[in-house]
Amino acid sequence: MRQAWTIAAKDLRLRLRDRSALIVGIIAPLGLAAIFSSIFNPIEDFDFSATYAVLDEDGGPVAAQFSAVLDQFGTGTGSDIRTVETRQEAADLVDVEPFSDEEGADAAFVIPAGFSNAALSADPAEMEVITGQGGVGAGVAVSFAEQFAGELTYARIAVSSFEALGGAEDRLAAGQRALAIPAPVSLEEIEAANKQLSNKTFYAAGLAIFFLFFTVQIGVNSLLEERHAGTLSRLMAAPMRRYSIIAGKGIMAFVLGFVSMVVLIIATTLLFGAEWGDPLGVLLLVVAAIISALGIMALVAGFAKTPEQAGNYSSMVAVVLGFLGGTFFPVGQAGGLLSDLRFITPHAWFMQGLGDLAGGNVPDVLPAVGALLLFGLVTGALALGVLRKGLQP
Amino acid sequence: MKAFTIAGTNLRRWLRDRSNVFWAFIFPILLILVLGSAFGGSSDPRLGIHNEGDGPLAADLVVLLEEQPGMQVIQFESREDLVATVERGELEAGLLIPVDYDATLRQGAMTSVELVARSAEEAQAISSNVQSALTQQSVVLRAAFFVESEEVGSFAEGLETAETASMNVADVTVVVSSAGEPVGFFQLGRFDASAQQQMLLFVFLTSLTASAALIQTRRLGVARRMMSTPTPVRTILVGEGMGRFAVALLQGLFIMVGTLVFFNVNWGDPVGAAAILIVFSLVGSGAAMLMGSLFENDQQAAGLGVLLGMGLAALGGCMVPLIIFEFFAPTLFQVAHITPHAWGLEAFDVLVIENGTLVDTLPFLAILLGFAGVFYLLAIWRLRRVLTR
Amino acid sequence: MTIRANVLECRDLKKSFGDNEAVKGVGFRIAEGETYGLLGPNGAGKTTTISMVTGLLERDDGEVTVDGQPLTTASVDAKRAIGLVPQDLAIYPDLTAKENLTFFGRLYDMPSGDLKARVAEVLEIIGLTDRADDRTEEFSGGMKRRLNIGLGLLHKPRLLLLDEPTVGVDPQSRNAILESVELLSGEGMAVLYTTHYMEEAERLCDRVGIIDLGEIKAEGTRRELVQMVGQHDRIRLQATGPCEAGVEALAALAVVKEAGVRDGGIEMLVDDADQSLAQILGKVSGAGVTVTSVDVDEPNLESVFLHLTGRALRD
Ligand SMILES: Nc1ncnc2c1ncn2[C@@H]1O[C@H](COP(=O)(O)OP(=O)(O)OP(=O)(O)O)[C@@H](O)[C@H]1O
Ligand SMILES: [Mg+2]
Repeated sequence: MRQAWTIAAKDLRLRLRDRSALIVGIIAPLGLAAIFSSIFNPIEDFDFSATYAVLDEDGGPVAAQFSAVLDQFGTGTGSDIRTVETRQEAADLVDVEPFSDEEGADAAFVIPAGFSNAALSADPAEMEVITGQGGVGAGVAVSFAEQFAGELTYARIAVSSFEALGGAEDRLAAGQRALAIPAPVSLEEIEAANKQLSNKTFYAAGLAIFFLFFTVQIGVNSLLEERHAGTLSRLMAAPMRRYSIIAGKGIMAFVLGFVSMVVLIIATTLLFGAEWGDPLGVLLLVVAAIISALGIMALVAGFAKTPEQAGNYSSMVAVVLGFLGGTFFPVGQAGGLLSDLRFITPHAWFMQGLGDLAGGNVPDVLPAVGALLLFGLVTGALALGVLRKGLQP
Repeated sequence: MKAFTIAGTNLRRWLRDRSNVFWAFIFPILLILVLGSAFGGSSDPRLGIHNEGDGPLAADLVVLLEEQPGMQVIQFESREDLVATVERGELEAGLLIPVDYDATLRQGAMTSVELVARSAEEAQAISSNVQSALTQQSVVLRAAFFVESEEVGSFAEGLETAETASMNVADVTVVVSSAGEPVGFFQLGRFDASAQQQMLLFVFLTSLTASAALIQTRRLGVARRMMSTPTPVRTILVGEGMGRFAVALLQGLFIMVGTLVFFNVNWGDPVGAAAILIVFSLVGSGAAMLMGSLFENDQQAAGLGVLLGMGLAALGGCMVPLIIFEFFAPTLFQVAHITPHAWGLEAFDVLVIENGTLVDTLPFLAILLGFAGVFYLLAIWRLRRVLTR
Repeated sequence: MTIRANVLECRDLKKSFGDNEAVKGVGFRIAEGETYGLLGPNGAGKTTTISMVTGLLERDDGEVTVDGQPLTTASVDAKRAIGLVPQDLAIYPDLTAKENLTFFGRLYDMPSGDLKARVAEVLEIIGLTDRADDRTEEFSGGMKRRLNIGLGLLHKPRLLLLDEPTVGVDPQSRNAILESVELLSGEGMAVLYTTHYMEEAERLCDRVGIIDLGEIKAEGTRRELVQMVGQHDRIRLQATGPCEAGVEALAALAVVKEAGVRDGGIEMLVDDADQSLAQILGKVSGAGVTVTSVDVDEPNLESVFLHLTGRALRD
């Protein structure tokens, strides 16, 4: 075991000297995290608010009711409601380029002349919504109008039933009483725990785990480099067990991975405001993730003949697993096959573990830690077999 | 001529390594396909539904919800699963319909459905959709409640008359029309914008890997051996760059044709699009040559290649559309233009959105050529220094 | 003797790496058909000198002329005359031997017809015809070195620079390579050769420069060098009869510097053993001595080097 430490120490010194581990393990992920957080954050911080125009050509009581409800909605959502006088004015307001500084509206509501009378009868009645080039604001407007129309339809049916059963009263007053009847099915909104990582944390964590595989690979690959340079024969001629060589490389790769993760976690927390969560949970996840990376990268290296080949295979595996595991894009949100498939990658488990930690407690990370360890142990055991056989000068 | 010899050898060596074919052709198409079908589609919010009720009213409600515009509905088998999925942010909201939904309503009692969401703001659009489905469904029931409360008849009588009334009374409807021509961004198809962004990202990223090849050539001593032949440094560099330029070009073409054929992506005027691709590949290979002459070690170059390839692409609008930068973060919009990607994307906008032709893209192409020229000149200067010091 | 043109002339070459003055004013000339050996211990500055001569290394000072043309790192055409065999391998591992040769041949603007024939010829010389289509990463160490040399011979340069080319090459292949170098040199090619193998230097080189600590300490033919440092050939005669009388008789010869009886034979130091041996044998048999065997020991460059620098060549 002492020799294993000696080998690990020598290799660590070497890796520090050529700056690749520094670049791959720290500079690249941190640089990308800086860029991602600067481009994605302004968008995350953006809140919904819209501007709506309303044109009342009717002037009747139902139209007045609509305006009142719309005003309430405007106050509730922080949206602007503007009254316009002509259809042309409404259309012009709506017809602006999205995201331009030009003043405009997301949608315009038009209550056509005679709407109130029609609404109070049993005859067909229509109201209009004019939308611009789409977007969230317009969708909300349409559904708002439809909801209002639905309420009116209900009131008409209710008042008609009331009249059919002998009730007799002004339709407007009866309709208003009908609307006061609560809907038989109410919507109870329940707030769920938030286990989704914030944008800042998502990119910090995604990049950290993505590059972790490359950092660990640098460590693993040194075994092949050693064989290539011929120094492996020297090591094997030395009075020690073969496992000491493998253990030495393993220790070194682990240390490289661990140091880079710790630096990244601290740096992204301080610089970009990433929230990694409870340190103990994060530590468990990080250690398990490094073990899984070690196992997988060692297994891949076991199939390569030269260091270059190992580098190629490993980056292929690391990139595919990374993308599939949702480190760059939240693959889980895509749904379907893709979001199930991601769980064949350690990356997905790591991200999920962090999410569960964010919305829960330390024990919540245990399934993810277990999955990561399983990855590491299975691939690691296979790798040991392959490497031991291949451990020839 | 010699540059072609060097380029040919570079290409031949590149082709010998199978993994390169994977990176250049299989991986990008795979990614565009996956991302395109996963995210390129609608950005409509998603509602998960777990329906515990077994009656027709509950089933009707699900149908009504599925018919709501601007929302995707996904059914879930278990409550835990639904809640966990919402918690992880993979759904905007989840709706739980209780076991006794039908029974309670038929008895004339009130019931409720639960809408689970992480935040009210996020679930806003869905919540209003659910509300309107509920309104639609409960019209008759609610009218019966009204009849009962007005004391003109019993709940059962109310149900019956309301049922008849709903046949005779017309619905109040909403007519939606849109003003003006839809422009830009929103007019692009499902894959369009993302295909252009991805193409630029990959062409640049793949080109950057050429830097590792140049580094290897230097480390093998072959670069100095070439220097000892009557071949100027600029020829060596142009040759090494040209090999990879060809790969980048081929890759870009592959992505363009592939997405055109399979997803019908609009690339605009073909001549203009080809010109952008050619010039952009030149920029990529120039950047690679500069990196290859700056660094000593392929692992460093690979790490920095990913940093630069992804980082510049992200900054340049290949991950978040430039128009969003322009609107939300004007400084970022300016910063984006230090990257060649932003200029490439703007050139594509001219073709695709403004229906321009090659001539209209010329200013952008000139700027891109400037990038390529600067990269190559710096690389030649630097390579001469490192090889002869 | 005809006057031959100088293919390489270099003067006052200087190069420092930081504080380390690797080469401090080296200069020599090589005529066509001449083979010049640069002999020196590790770190003496041989490779640095060769790199400056081939325009691969920016020099701090000095001049290089190849085939009448001045050469700098920016030169292109002057390099046509040069063939370089670098000390470290410089071949593509993922190309075949033939592909490597063809590639570099093109860089010398060889027309493709000639190139094809010449590639086959060179493959024959370096004994790799059988392996021509194998990737060089599958080659043994010596095969790679042979290819490394072949690449320098390809375009029949006017000046061939070989930097310790035969390290790790088996004796038979080495012989083939040396023969081809001798052949080309016979056709008028100038050769600059650095090596640690004394036999190679003595066999190949018309003139030798001894370099140490970045300076040429001495230069000339082997004989000139030997004489310069006052070394003599040693002749040992196993003999029976009146050896003392033989010694006395030898005193009459001017070429004999010193003679004496040792271990039942005669031992002497002479100027030039080859030329004076007959004379010497005549003298001693005239004195009644019967010679049973002759042993001539010529001082080699190793001893010259030792003498000049006080160090062994390979320390
Ligand atoms: N690139 C370099 N950077 C720094 N120092 C160098 C460099 N190349 C050579 N040197 C130094 O210059 C000196 C001469 O080196 P050079 O390679 O010319 O020796 P050499 O005579 O070829 O030795 P050998 O027989 O070992 O090949 C040495 O002290 C060496 O350390
Ligand atoms: Mg040397």
